Parts: sequence; structure tokens; C-alpha cells
Amino acid sequence: MKKSSILLIVIIAVAIAMIMVIYTDSSTYSTFSEAKEKDTELYVVGVLNKQKELHYDPVQHANRFTFYMYDNDSTECQVIFNGSKPQDIERSEQIVLTGKMEGDVFHASKILMKCPSKYNKDEVEIIESQAAPKTALAN
Amino acid sequence: MDINYVGEQLLSGKIGQFFIILSFGSAILSFISYYFATKNPEITSWKTLGRIGYWLNALSIVVIGSTLFYIIYNHLFEYHYAYAHSSKALPTHYIISSFWEGQEGSFWLWMFWQMVLSCVIVFRAKTWESPVMTIVMLCQAILASMILGIEFFGTRIGSSPFILLRDAMNIPIFSDPNYLSLIADGRGLNPLLQNYWMVIHPPTLFLGFASMIVPFAYAFAGLWQKRYKEWMTPGLPWALFAVMILGAGIIMGSFWAYEALNFGGFWAWDPVENVSIIPWFTLIAAVHVMVVFKNSGHGYFTATFLTLISFVLVIYASYLTRSGILGETSVHSFTSLGMSGQLIFFNMVYLALMVGILISRRKEIPSSEKEEDIYSREFWMFIGALVLTVACVQIIATTSIPVFNGIFGTKVAPPINPIAHYNKWQGAFVIVILLLTAVTQFLKYKRTDTKKFWASTIATLVVSILVTALVAYFTEIYSNVMYILIAFAGIFCVISNIRVLGDALKGKWRLSGSAVSHIGFALLMIGALIAAATNKVISVNSNGYIAVANFDKFEKPGDNLFLNEGEPVQMGDYRITYIGDSVAAPNVYYNIKYERIDEESGKVKESFILQPFAQNNPDMGGLIGTPATKHYVSHDIYTLITAANSDSFASISGQKADDKTGFDAYDEPATYEVSVGDTLRYRNGYYVIEGINRDATVNNLPKGPEDVFFGLKIKVVAADQKEFVAEPIYAIKDGNVYDFNKDVNEQGLRFRFSNIYPDRDKLEVMVYQKPLPEKKWIVFKAIKFPYINFFWSGTIIMTLGFCMAIYRRLKDAKISKKIA
Repeated sequence: MKKSSILLIVIIAVAIAMIMVIYTDSSTYSTFSEAKEKDTELYVVGVLNKQKELHYDPVQHANRFTFYMYDNDSTECQVIFNGSKPQDIERSEQIVLTGKMEGDVFHASKILMKCPSKYNKDEVEIIESQAAPKTALAN
Repeated sequence: MDINYVGEQLLSGKIGQFFIILSFGSAILSFISYYFATKNPEITSWKTLGRIGYWLNALSIVVIGSTLFYIIYNHLFEYHYAYAHSSKALPTHYIISSFWEGQEGSFWLWMFWQMVLSCVIVFRAKTWESPVMTIVMLCQAILASMILGIEFFGTRIGSSPFILLRDAMNIPIFSDPNYLSLIADGRGLNPLLQNYWMVIHPPTLFLGFASMIVPFAYAFAGLWQKRYKEWMTPGLPWALFAVMILGAGIIMGSFWAYEALNFGGFWAWDPVENVSIIPWFTLIAAVHVMVVFKNSGHGYFTATFLTLISFVLVIYASYLTRSGILGETSVHSFTSLGMSGQLIFFNMVYLALMVGILISRRKEIPSSEKEEDIYSREFWMFIGALVLTVACVQIIATTSIPVFNGIFGTKVAPPINPIAHYNKWQGAFVIVILLLTAVTQFLKYKRTDTKKFWASTIATLVVSILVTALVAYFTEIYSNVMYILIAFAGIFCVISNIRVLGDALKGKWRLSGSAVSHIGFALLMIGALIAAATNKVISVNSNGYIAVANFDKFEKPGDNLFLNEGEPVQMGDYRITYIGDSVAAPNVYYNIKYERIDEESGKVKESFILQPFAQNNPDMGGLIGTPATKHYVSHDIYTLITAANSDSFASISGQKADDKTGFDAYDEPATYEVSVGDTLRYRNGYYVIEGINRDATVNNLPKGPEDVFFGLKIKVVAADQKEFVAEPIYAIKDGNVYDFNKDVNEQGLRFRFSNIYPDRDKLEVMVYQKPLPEKKWIVFKAIKFPYINFFWSGTIIMTLGFCMAIYRRLKDAKISKKIA
């Protein structure tokens, strides 16, 4: 057999082994209840609970942001993010968290948000028609 | 109902749309004509017709571009593209970037570069012109179809940049014929793209992508025309050109990420980055195997296959970034325009061309029966190319997880920590690649003297180990075996190639292009390794713990530091102070002063101010921070704002707190019944009711005989003993009661004389106080990137090496033509 044929077989074997390993490296999108059972870092997909307070007080603690999120099973859970508050989280349509459950609280190390695309927004900002200024009584 | 809209400028759009259709039609015409010119070379009129098609196509593309630029530049917001991607405040160079912010503009850019490159082919390719142009013009036609925006049988083909705003959106204001006067401004350019790198990075990247088709077309033409071995001579310089430009474009993108994005680094293995590097890898591999084939006759199939697949992967890349399929895994791909069907078609066409021609010519493809020698350069170059290909397979496999999910309906998520995942694999591959690049320099084509090989290899190896030890010690990467191995492989590669350069200086400088690019590549890798491995967040925040039971054990010191205005904080070697903002709409610059202080004398050794800025753009998703970086020769200090109080932005939006006329800016008032002579306290001092002015007047208000105007004299004494007076007025005019308030702006006070109670001999006064201005603060993050300059200088050296190699291959082509 030629050296190049052997080489080719080796390379293909390496490639196949590699792809299999990649898939053991890959993760799944889970829910909070699954996260409670597992002790590893995982993804949780869900939506922000906009009714409850998003707490970020940088004066107290610049690296702590807490909020509540519903996962895809509509389970609600408190989330603590070790970092500053992502600026547009209130507008997010979907949140993908990376992190793990500690007790009843989910500790996120990364937050990926899906925000409404500016391209699909069927809105046009219009110049506000200015009414004549009211007569000021005080000078 | 037809409405006659006012002020629309429809002509430019019509011109643009006409030329889009012309560009599509002429590309088809040129494609068909060149096809027949290839089939029947004796009929010269086919070729002429093909050229006419090409020139028409070129003209159309130029007109489309100029028209679109005219529309954006003149802020014709009746066109959706101008509305969605630009605004009046944009300076001209960012108007250029808004041109290619959208998919349509970037498709145009791609077509434009293909047109420019085709011009070279039309003039220089001679016998190759017809078959090569057939392939290029087919691509040109498909690209034109992406911006057609015409409906065929109910399905829309492409998305036109000339679509009108009122056609793109369905909202009530378009029932107003004068709607244009209601649209104040466009949505503007994403602040992240408002960076000078975004002016130059997309054109470079798209020139790279566009030039990838030329080697594809040559390889295809070689098989098609059965000029198997010939195509590499003109194809190799083109492939080198494509690799050089694409490489430069990718690194520019990483420079942009480093300068403008806030993920804190220059490479994040984001799918968008991955898909651009994949074709670069495969074409680099192809270039090496082409050189192998030219020197030894081995590897024809591999060279051709890699060249062909590279362009197919370019199309795959544009499918991934433009179809929206990466939505969940990538932060910055394009949003979908609903064209994934068309993109898949594009992919399939070129994949089918590649597979089809390879299968139909499989029996005739030149192959070499001879065994390669183990001690030959070609054998190890070949292995290097294969390793590069396997590295590609890894990147493709992980990046394509969303595609597999789409095809098989699975729900596999990408690795939880993508950067670690890719680094693990690619780290291993890069070691092998760098070692091969080093060792191969000591081998010769065909047969090498074994003794000489081992002697020089071992000598270089020893030197490299010593240098690695020094580098590892000074850059503090010795704690990690992987880092040491990569650093060693890189240094070994640099030193081996410097030896080659040394030979080149003895007269063979023409051959030194490869050595220079290898040195550049190795430096780039060493720089990337050190900067990525040893970058340190220096804004570590260990205080500010909230001591809540059960929580403390999770609390790691965070990466963000809180700074109050004017309060210095020690951060590593630096004493940092937030010294205030400066505003240049729409950006707010936060001035952070860095000082390095000599420990003994207490003197400031070094002082500089970094101005990271942020733009508050509600349309684009709130506050978007842009880092500022202090560059040193040995390292960079990178600073980014992650949160700030919003006062600074209030001034931009035009609502200066002082200008508010209403009572919104004040806290709830306090109402007192007072007598003359009373003293009352307020937050910052006290005030005295001094008396009543019975002859008070009010501007412009005539005082009738029955009317009563009373002024209440108040003296305000602030904590710093400054005195102010105010005289609110109580008035009865024509039987109606009014009161006129008075402000003491310096103290944020407003007084109203709201009532008089003659029965009790009391006066009612209402006091409004402004809330105390919040102290300005910022939350920021600072990262130190050591030795990142290796990364950038490596890029420049590599590009230079490619230039030299192109020059050499062009010379070679001329020489071989003379011989033939």
C-alpha cells in the first residue's frame, strides 16, 4: 500500500474520532428543573419575567445583577449574574443563560440575549407635532 | 386608493432598479456567451458577445453603487435602505460604512470586486478567458439575483436596496401624502459599526471572498478544458492573492473586534469569524499542495479539490452568516432577509459544478504512481496541508451545529464554553502545523541528504528550546504545558525560516516570500497565544461583598470596578480616577485618569487619560460601550465602560434638567403656614420670610383697580453662607386667584406663595426642592494584553511575504511562457 493511502486512512480516522468527541463536548438546552439535577454548567433558554424587579445596584456591588426568568417549561427561577447588567435586557425576547444551579438560585456566567431585530421593527419614529408653548405664568 | 406623495425622489430608485435588472440580464448573457465561446472557440463572435455582457454588467454595477450612495448621502429616507442604515448626523466616512451595513450593500460590494477582478481576467487571461469568465459570470448572475427584489410566481427573488420605505413597512403614516416631512431621521448606523475599521474591513474581506472565485474558476477550467497541469501556473498567483487579501481582511476584523467590540479580545471563535477563516485555511492548504505538485508531480487531485472546495466554503460562509440560521449562537451575524432558499441554491450550484467536473474527469486526473520519499519536502508539505484540512473539519463541525439541528431536527447546543473548546483543538493543530512548517524548511524536494537534515534540524532545535525558555520565563506562560508547546513550535518555526531567509540574502531573495510569510504567521500565533493566555483583568473588584448567608461561597471577586467621580482607586500598578465626562453627541466620553506612582518618592511617574465612550441608542439596544486602549510596545491597557449613570445622556437628548419648566424635576413640595420673620430649614441651609411686598408687579400683567398683587420676600441662606432672594407672588385679578412661583436655581429651590389666611394672619408657602444630584459613577472593566503587538506585526509580515510570493509566481509564469 502506498504511503499516501495509509495517510489518508489515518486522517479520515482522526477526523471521525474528532467529530465524535466534538459531540460529547456539545451541550443541550435545558430547563431549570434539569439544571437542579445536574451539577454541570449548561444552557437554559427562557424569557425574562418583566413583572419582577431586575436588581442591579452598582454602588453596592458592581458585579451582581439579579433577575427572574421563566424557562421553556414556564418554571420561574431567580438568576444571579456575576457581572454588570446587560444594558438592553428589558427589551429581550429570549435569553440564553450559561451557568449552573446552586440551591434554588441559578448562577449565570454568561447571558446571551435575542433582541427584537431593528430590521423587522415596523415602526417609524415621527417628528412630534409641537403644540404652541403654553403661556408661562412665571418668568 | 392612489396617493400623490409629496417630496419623494423616485427617479434615483427607478434608475437603480433598472440597472439591477440590467446587471442580472447582462451577467446571464455574458455567462451564456462565454459558455458557447468555450465550446466553440472558432466562432469569435461568442467571445465578443461575452465581453459586451461583461462590460454592460460592469457599467450596471457602477451605476447601482453610485445611485445607492447618492440616496444614502442625500438622506433620501423614502428609500428603506437609507432609512434603516443611516442618519443625518453620520459623517461621510460612516456613510460609507452604512452602505454595506445591510446585506444588499454587501452583496453589491462582492459583485463590485468580482467585476474589478474580471477586468484583469478579460485583459490578461488570453486562452483562459472564456472558460474562467463562464464561471465568474455565473456567480455574478447569482449575486445579482440576490438584490433583484422582483416577484416571480409569488415568490420574491432577492431583496432590492431600492425598495421604498412605504413598500417595506405597513404602517398608517403612509396614508398621509406628506409623510416624508414627518420622518425626522433614519435609524442610523449601529454604533458598533461606527469605527474606522468598519470603513476598511468589509471591502477588504469582500475583496478576499471575491478573489476566491478566480482560483476556483481556473481549477474548474483546467479540468473542463483538459488542460490539467496548465491551470496552476496562472492559478497560483491568484490563489496567493486571495489568501493574502482574505487573511488581511480577517485580521482587520479582529482588530475591529479588539478596538470596538466589548467582548474583550481579538478573537472569540464566533461563528461569523469561524466561517471566514475556514476557506482561508483550505486555500492556504491548496496553495501548498499546488507548490508540491509543481515541484514533484504529486498531489494533483488534492490541490484541485482544495482549490475548488475553498470557494464552495465561501458560499457556505455567506449562507451561515446571511440566512439567520446562526441566530442562537452568534451575536453578530446579519439578520435574515428570508433568502435562505436562494443562498442554498447558490451553494448547491457551485457544489454540483465541483462534484460534477471531478467525477466526469476522474479517469483522466493526473496522478503519480511514484512513492514520495520520507525525506522529501513534498511529503511533509502534503501532510501539513492535510492537517490544516482536518483543523478545518473541526471548525466546520462545531460551527455547523445549528445547521445539523436544522436538517435533522435535533436540539444539540454548541459547547458550553466555545473558546475553550476551539482552543483545545486548534491549539493542538497549530503545534503540528508550526512544527511541520519549521522542519520542512530543512528538507529538499524529491530527496534530502539525511545527515545534513538532522544536523541542521537539531542545531535549530537546540537554539529554539533556549529561546523558548527565555520567552516563557519573561511572559510567564510556563505554568501551562500547552502554552509552552505552542510558544516553542512558533519560535522553532521563526528560527528555521530565518535560516532560509539567511540563504535568501545570499542571492536567492526571490524565493524568500514563503519564509517571510511563515515568520509572519508564527509571530502572529505567538502573539495571539501570549496575549490570549496571559491577558489579565486588572479591574478586579474584591470588595463590595454582600454578606448574605449561603451566597458568600459563590461570590468570586468580579471583573468590574465601581468608580465615583473624583475618588481615586488603586488598581494594580495604577491609581485611577474618574475625572468626569465629555460629550460629543451622540457619544459620551468617560475620562479615566491613569497614574503610575513611584512607591518611594510618591511622585507620579506616568499619567494618561483613557476615554472609553458609550452611545445610548434605544433603537439599537441601549447603551453600547466602546473601549479605549493605551498601547505600549510590550502590552496594551484596555478599558471598557460596562455601566454608568444616565445623567450624562440627559444632556444629549436635550432635556437638560434645569430647562424643565414643569414641576417634574422637583420632589413633592412641602407646604407651610408661616408668619413674617419665621425661619425654616431646607436640605442645604435655611430661609427667612422677610416680609410682604404690597406693591409687587408682574411683567406684562396690568394691575386693575380691584386687583391685588402680593410678593413674599424670602431670603435664602445656603450652608456656605451665600445669600439669595426670591419673591413669589400671590395675585387676585378680576376675582381670580393666581400665584407666580420663583426659583432659586443655584439651590434647586422653588417657592410658591400659594395662599393667604387673613383670619389666622398666616401665609401659605409651598417649597419645592430638587432631588440632590446623584454623584456620577461608572462601572468599568480593564484588561491588560501583553505582547499583543506580535499579533499585529505578524500579520503585516505575513502579508508582505504573500506579496513577495505573488511577485515570484508571476515571474515564474512569465519564464515558463517563454520556455513554452
